[in-house]
Amino acid sequence: MIEGGWDFVYPAYAVTFGGLAVLAAVVVLRLRHWAKRAQGLKR
Amino acid sequence: MLSYLANPARFMAFSAWAAPLFLAAAVLAFGVALPWALAFSPADYQQGETVRIMYVHVPAAWWSMGIYAFMGVASFVGLVWRHALADVAARAAAPIGATFAALCLITGSLWGAPTWGTWWEWDGRLTSMLVLFIIYLGYLALWSAIEDEEKAARLAAILCLVGLINLPIIKFSVDWWSTLHQPASIMRSGGSAIHPSMLGPLLTMAAGFLFLFGALLMMNMRAAVFRRRVESARARGDGA
Repeated sequence: MIEGGWDFVYPAYAVTFGGLAVLAAVVVLRLRHWAKRAQGLKR
Repeated sequence: MLSYLANPARFMAFSAWAAPLFLAAAVLAFGVALPWALAFSPADYQQGETVRIMYVHVPAAWWSMGIYAFMGVASFVGLVWRHALADVAARAAAPIGATFAALCLITGSLWGAPTWGTWWEWDGRLTSMLVLFIIYLGYLALWSAIEDEEKAARLAAILCLVGLINLPIIKFSVDWWSTLHQPASIMRSGGSAIHPSMLGPLLTMAAGFLFLFGALLMMNMRAAVFRRRVESARARGDGA
């Protein structure tokens, strides 16, 4: 059996959930930016 | 349902409540899948703890291909019926698919190092997956490079449809060529070869990825619709 697997498991999960969190943050910020500007049109 | 949502006003009304709902479902699925994958699922008798990388690697691989197939359908609809929201959907999905493809490559490399003894191998599966990631980048670059949105949508849709040929190559690469990568163990004839104690966290994690894709897709599409409203108003000279 392969020993020391956690040394690879933790980085894999950190990269995955870090990457997904950054992606989600960028999408949310971009949506807020354009929603605010579109809202400004109505005023 | 899809023809109902093809109307931008109806899509905006639907996505205003559906996107947060999908996001909540993703958080819930990840909240269940993470401890299940890291603590409650068993280690593999050969791979040891490294098998836990499967729970993030496989969903990223599945959905990076699934998202590309979705983009192919949206591109086809956009090309044939010239539906603006179809082009918006294809473009909105691309950065999410590219991220999933990148995560698949990185986590695959982290899994390959202890199990295969190498971070990378130029075999059919790994190379075709890298090609998918490059197609995603090319698709996004094409959209950004052409100012005329209609022309950009047409050319990007053609690129996307041509790139669809890569999906069966990825899927069957492990059968066609000699590879370090294992053959299909879940989506195969004769049923899944994976034990339920590992299938449970894998499918739950895959559901989390899918819900997250749905939420981010709708948010990206909403941003695109808002942006078009702003740019149309600017073109009319309304300010903004």
